[in-house]
Amino acid sequence: MTMGEEGPIIEIRGVYTAYEGADRPTLQDVSLTIRRGEYVVIGGPNGAGKTTLLETINGMLPITHGDAVVCGHHVRGDGIQVRCRVGYLLQNFSFDPLTPFTVGEVVMMGRFGKIGLFRKPGQEDHEAVARALSLLGIGDLADRPIGQLSGGQQQKVLLAQNLARDPDILLLDEPFSNLDMFARESINALLTRLVAQGVTVVIVSHAFDDLPDRTVRVVVMQEGRIVLDRECAPGLVEQVIRGCGGSTANA
Amino acid sequence: MLELLIQNNIVCHAVEAMLFASIACAILGVIITQIQISSIGFTMAHAAFAGAAVGMFLSINAMVTAIIAGVCVAFLIGPLSDKARVSPDTALGLLFGISMAVAIFFIAYMQTLGRGFSAMGLLFGDVISLYREEIYLLAIISVVAVVFVVLLYKEITGIIFNKKIAESVGIRVKPVYYAMLFVIALTVALCLPIIGGLLLYVWLVTPAAIALQFCYRLSAMFVVAPLVAAAISISGALAGLEYSLPVAPLTAVLFSVVFIVAVLLSPKRRVTFRKS
Repeated sequence: MTMGEEGPIIEIRGVYTAYEGADRPTLQDVSLTIRRGEYVVIGGPNGAGKTTLLETINGMLPITHGDAVVCGHHVRGDGIQVRCRVGYLLQNFSFDPLTPFTVGEVVMMGRFGKIGLFRKPGQEDHEAVARALSLLGIGDLADRPIGQLSGGQQQKVLLAQNLARDPDILLLDEPFSNLDMFARESINALLTRLVAQGVTVVIVSHAFDDLPDRTVRVVVMQEGRIVLDRECAPGLVEQVIRGCGGSTANA
Repeated sequence: MLELLIQNNIVCHAVEAMLFASIACAILGVIITQIQISSIGFTMAHAAFAGAAVGMFLSINAMVTAIIAGVCVAFLIGPLSDKARVSPDTALGLLFGISMAVAIFFIAYMQTLGRGFSAMGLLFGDVISLYREEIYLLAIISVVAVVFVVLLYKEITGIIFNKKIAESVGIRVKPVYYAMLFVIALTVALCLPIIGGLLLYVWLVTPAAIALQFCYRLSAMFVVAPLVAAAISISGALAGLEYSLPVAPLTAVLFSVVFIVAVLLSPKRRVTFRKS
């Protein structure tokens, strides 16, 4: 099943998500509709449920109540299909210096879900990897062991891994952490380009200075609920999030 | 299989057994060391030991019950680790304790009944006294290990890299992870009574650790580890039989020496400066 260009690419209705053993749901009655090509910034204090929301959208956490449809697939039951079309950059990753994986291999992993069981990467997959590396400007690192790179370079590799599967949606959890100002600028420009091409970007970030110089949609969460959802002019995101009580401290 | 090359039947069998078992264990050892479940060798050994003790108590084939116990524990590792929310290594520790307790209970009880036990002999096999059927079994295990890794190579590498990232890119992590644990545990359970605990523990860890000193790619480790394991194991078997030395301890010592040399020569620890 595929969605029309104009329809919502993410549609969440009354979703509750709970971690095993938790005494209350982490997400409570969350409803959110996101269209193709939107740039959405999620803010809120620590423990507000921002990362949980991202992992609910891509089906990595179980929905205990409600429904979520992403890229035309019901997240409950079709999680694998959803994740093949949704890139998800996890926050705060670092690798052991002896990790036996090169940058090229790590980026290729982004294609594994699409390639499927018992099949080898083909020409198309190698081209997608080369394209992703080139987009991030790290083509020269393809044969380097990932463990020997700096934190910022590793962050770029993981972002390239997500771009390699030509995602319809990019869920980015703190994508600017570990990056120097030049890298932040170039990634910001890249995200703006991707949005213009129709990729939906949902970003959890506290580096508000690095958001694009354009109107973005801001969703503020508190205690597992969405407390604000509105368009926001450039440079006003931090002010809006603070205004509704959402801390801007690192989550 | 190697009769054309090696005329002496005992030597031929020993070399064949060492070749097949070392390849299977070294390939799976790459996974074991990377997902840090090195204690799987000890746990499976004691599960098989418990199975053998139960078999002897019930007067049925102790080898069969040892393998059944090993397979049962193999099935339990993954689900126990997930359901109890503990690391696989902790799950292995729990199963080790249970297996040890069962084995000791039955052995002690048999002694009070005046029945001796010979489970040790079953579990700590000897590579120079093997039947042809046992060598065929080792060959099959070796082929299964290679085919398993080749077929699921993408998924295995993804899981080794990071389970959460693997899940996020669309890999079916849970079934592949359980299959990995099961194939490893089954291989250990089947190899243990044939080749013995000492060599098994060495093959599961040391070849992969040696390969890691030189390889920057997991794919290279999957090739280097079994080659190193086969070369050292065959050398150990030939030297042991030529000079009438115990094969398993000699081979284990050889592995340790090669590992130390590998650490000293590893380019990964070399610091180089280039003055411009």
